[in-house]
Amino acid sequence: MSQVRTLSSRLGRGALLASLLAGTALATPATASAQWVTTYEQFYLQAPHNWTFRNDYQAADRLFNAFDYGHAILYEKLWTMPHASPDELEVKQYDYLTKRVLVRPPRIPLEEAAIEIKYVQLAPEAKQMFEWAHILHRQLYDVLADERLDQTAKDREVQRLIDYYKTRKDVAFSSKPKSMKLMQEQPYSLAFRKQYPKFNGLIWGYHWLQVGLYEPLMVGKTVDERQAGVRATTARFWQMLQDPPRTFPYQMPMTPAVAPVFAARYQEAAIIFDNLHSMHDVISDILANDSVPRHRKRAEIMLAAERFRDDTSYVMTPQAWLTMAGHMGIENMGGPSVGFLPTLPTPTVTYGAVMSHDDRTGAMVGFKSGQATGGEHAGHTNMTPTPAAAAGAAPMAGMNHAGMNHTASDTSRARTDSARRDTSAAHHAMQHGVTPAPSENTAAQAMMREMHEAMLRDPAIRARVLANPALRAHQQHLESMGAVDSLPKAPPARRSSPATPAAKRPPAKMTPKATPKPADPHAGHVMPTPKPPVKKPPTESIR
Amino acid sequence: MTALHRWPQRFALAATMTISSLSLPQNAKAQTDYYNTDAGRPLQIEDAYAVERRALEIQAAPLRLERNRRGVYNWGIEPELAYGLFRRTQVEIGLPIAILDAGVGGKTVGITGLDASVLYNLNTETRIPALAIGASVLAPVGGLAADATYASVKGIATKTFQWARFHVNGQYTAGKAPASVPGEAGAVGAGASELSRWLGGVSVDRPFPLKSLLISAEAFARQPLEANESLEWNAAVGTRVQLSPRVALDVGAGSRLSGDDKGWFATIGGAYVIGLPWRKR
Repeated sequence: MSQVRTLSSRLGRGALLASLLAGTALATPATASAQWVTTYEQFYLQAPHNWTFRNDYQAADRLFNAFDYGHAILYEKLWTMPHASPDELEVKQYDYLTKRVLVRPPRIPLEEAAIEIKYVQLAPEAKQMFEWAHILHRQLYDVLADERLDQTAKDREVQRLIDYYKTRKDVAFSSKPKSMKLMQEQPYSLAFRKQYPKFNGLIWGYHWLQVGLYEPLMVGKTVDERQAGVRATTARFWQMLQDPPRTFPYQMPMTPAVAPVFAARYQEAAIIFDNLHSMHDVISDILANDSVPRHRKRAEIMLAAERFRDDTSYVMTPQAWLTMAGHMGIENMGGPSVGFLPTLPTPTVTYGAVMSHDDRTGAMVGFKSGQATGGEHAGHTNMTPTPAAAAGAAPMAGMNHAGMNHTASDTSRARTDSARRDTSAAHHAMQHGVTPAPSENTAAQAMMREMHEAMLRDPAIRARVLANPALRAHQQHLESMGAVDSLPKAPPARRSSPATPAAKRPPAKMTPKATPKPADPHAGHVMPTPKPPVKKPPTESIR
Repeated sequence: MTALHRWPQRFALAATMTISSLSLPQNAKAQTDYYNTDAGRPLQIEDAYAVERRALEIQAAPLRLERNRRGVYNWGIEPELAYGLFRRTQVEIGLPIAILDAGVGGKTVGITGLDASVLYNLNTETRIPALAIGASVLAPVGGLAADATYASVKGIATKTFQWARFHVNGQYTAGKAPASVPGEAGAVGAGASELSRWLGGVSVDRPFPLKSLLISAEAFARQPLEANESLEWNAAVGTRVQLSPRVALDVGAGSRLSGDDKGWFATIGGAYVIGLPWRKR
């Protein structure tokens, strides 16, 4: 009897261990089939420019490592703590991210599977899509940061990277632009931004910097300008953290608006990144929205992922995509990533507002959620798109956000301090957004140009522009487009060793000493990283 | 039958039930990613994932030191190359070199075989654990090699919880027992990879993702190929840390708790990864 008990005991333990090892029992073959996933990892494209950005722009590069943590912990918390208080993300995780992880970012790219443990098990294919696109992101920085490459070589390498990216059809985002309907007009849409406005703003801030940093690398004419530009753009990101969510972007940053020079030259990459960032928001919404039952989350994520990969769902033309980005308003996306003024731009819509766009033209036709708050377009009256707008007019031109069909159910908050205007945002959008429209837009642009030139006739302003590499590059870009008259030649830029990484250089002086103190003392400067909280930061945890 | 002897049987039963295929002389994998563990680097029990497709990993000189209870020291180095040949598939080749204590002041140095292996990851972990199968061949190349070719098969499962990750490995080696196993007093070479008739074990690890650090522990049993040798129980702890995007370092130490060759061992190694050139077709 005792032997039987012993045997039974052994078998029982063996079976228990076996079931542990074999995994959770699966109820049905269909479930098992859905859970049998064969996605895989692939090494990045081997090239001499590998990790150049990491070596030469350390501070910015490390922030991207921190961003990886932010994305990963967000999904993990949304999936594993569905009934947690919003404070879990809005306070606890947000504070940990902004006071610990961003302040002391990891040195090397993170293994996200070690952070978003349960989320990865839910949707490994989606995780792989993000990872593959993030690799493309990083490799493009490397190419643009590599001082050994001339423009022709950079163009060739960027195309090679995109070709390599597209070899993974199972995880590559489509390089066809997708309508914002795919992101924010689905049954589950908007849940995340409404429940977690601060964290959502932080994610949009991440995306602003991730695409925005291409721009100083593109417009900088020398290594010094590129270094200064990257520092300035990074400092702008820190500026967005000052009063969340008010100071965060109010719309998903679109690459053609935030990094127009990059998007114009490498349009396919820009489209891929916009699709990538859209899908980030979609997954947040699916996970955050209780109307999607837990057993349907994976299926919804897979459906969305498929739509982001294919070249047929919700597609629009590149021209419509440009128009849509313009009409969404650069001032609503955190502003331009180069050539900005000290203050953040004033959004012209409520936080997280959803604009409807004509899929054929990209022109804005109204609001699905939220409303306009005036801004630069207040006073315009027409609610329907003008022919010019429908044909792809200047960003927001002819639009009257304030007069659009407002959605009363929107609970988002709007910025009200119109004093924090940044007219450079309007300038920027005007230059790069889309094709100029013939009628009133031409007049408006003429006025803007006149104002721009009047300001530059002021010696103090001109000196400031000349002293600021980013502004100077921006001005030169405008000149090259014929949008403004030429400035007197800039004094020769101080040159330092190209090999000197950004982190070891003194911050670039963004304003001459005589310049009056801006409203925001940190604006335009390389800001010191915020001090960590006095109290002991929470310990690193993956739970 | 003593309790000590029952445990291996229970363990073997469980491993047999849960792992469909079992393996050969332990094939060593070279995986640079700190989270992607690798047999012998530093622990014997590895995870179910192959090296990334198109990645070439180089382990120039992973070092292992053993000391048995008789005070004899043996060293082993196993240079390896691993390549992610296909999706979820890696191939690997290693050349284990042993430095054996041959008595007073004497040492014997030689290659203990040519180790070629393949690992195929069957699936990515979802609610189903990640599973993999592997096969390897140890060819009789070198002065300290066995006198025959041995083939092994291996099965691996990985299951991740929020607090830790578990791996189970089972391995079986076919072929007649050699007349004498090279380096009888503790041949080293491919990490605790003396020829085993079977090997089964479990490891647990926990990552610290912001530090790109993994700490892990394992326990495994192995039956030496020679039938008259007694079962060995081993336990070890180790860590892997990513030093740069291309370089990972591992350190580990453990003990042979039972068997004819009790003792302790320590290992340290590093790996460097590159990708092979690519051209658009």
